[in-house]
Amino acid sequence: MSSMGESNYKGSIQLDIRGKTCPLTFVYTKLALEELPKGKILEVYLDFPAALKNIPESCKTQNIAELLEIKELHSDKPEWIILLKKL
Amino acid sequence: MDLTDEQINRYSRQIILKEVGGIGQKKLLDSKISLVGLGALGSSTAYYLAAAGIGTLQIIDFDTVEISNLHRQILHFTKDINSKKTTSAADKLRSLNPDCTIEIVNDHITPKNSKVLLKDSNFVIEGSDNLPTKMLVNDTCINLKIPFTIAGVLRFHGQIMTVVPENMTSCYRCVFGDITEGDSSMSCSQAGVIGFVPGVLGCLEANEALKYILNIGELLTNKIMYVDLLKNRFDFIEVHRNNKCIACGDDAKDLVGEVNYGGLNSCNE
Repeated sequence: MSSMGESNYKGSIQLDIRGKTCPLTFVYTKLALEELPKGKILEVYLDFPAALKNIPESCKTQNIAELLEIKELHSDKPEWIILLKKL
Repeated sequence: MDLTDEQINRYSRQIILKEVGGIGQKKLLDSKISLVGLGALGSSTAYYLAAAGIGTLQIIDFDTVEISNLHRQILHFTKDINSKKTTSAADKLRSLNPDCTIEIVNDHITPKNSKVLLKDSNFVIEGSDNLPTKMLVNDTCINLKIPFTIAGVLRFHGQIMTVVPENMTSCYRCVFGDITEGDSSMSCSQAGVIGFVPGVLGCLEANEALKYILNIGELLTNKIMYVDLLKNRFDFIEVHRNNKCIACGDDAKDLVGEVNYGGLNSCNE
């Protein structure tokens, strides 16, 4: 399951795709970005390591979002947040 | 309408494309395409359009499945011999994709019913095996201002062109003239055809419909694509709208009901 919701990060939108693998990680990210106005930030929660490279690259190739930051969620668990700005 | 998780999964490999996305997928799911003919061309066209998530496919054919159809008409199986082609096709298409609503018309398309049958379509695919039907679809769609694509196949050859009446692109009559009588050329049953040719051309027809609905890429308008699979030649022949064309020219009138479409005029009577 994926889920979207409001985030505390400067009015951004949250997308939780933990459990999803590529290429669905990008598909869900892309669908979420389509719903956002230009300039809005999407926080993507994920746990599939290859997506850390694939999502920002695909967003750049399709010119739909800019990578702002990748943050580790835990020090002992492979989960991350990707911050993307809708173009 | 939001896409379900199942739909996102089903269409993921096309949603991922820059040219499609979720917005494009919803357009496909909201669209209606009519297919005239469920033989070899219609089989491959219908299969891929249903798979792509076209919301409604209207399939029009009067014929029944024969064993000699099976080498090329890939929607029909041995168990379907003597069944209606529409019924046979609908079974497979519904099984392939429950998102796609299949509307069956077990009838000839004729000058009497063509406008009623095609009027709600976003796009029409012509895949019959005879010129009178191609001309009728051409004239009807021009009158209704519905974009359409027409393909034909013989032996190892095929040709396809797309017409967008709203943009006043060249129509089938502009190219092939004022054909008002039936039986004006050989049909597949007389000349033979290799099965892969309508497979390729049917896919091209489906691709034209998808590109039109998504408003992407380039259509095969004002040109004919000529395919020779024996020599692996793919040629494009430039064609032009004829100002004097009786279907789409400057003084054109509604031809449906006016001209003779061979045996089609007497069907359903």
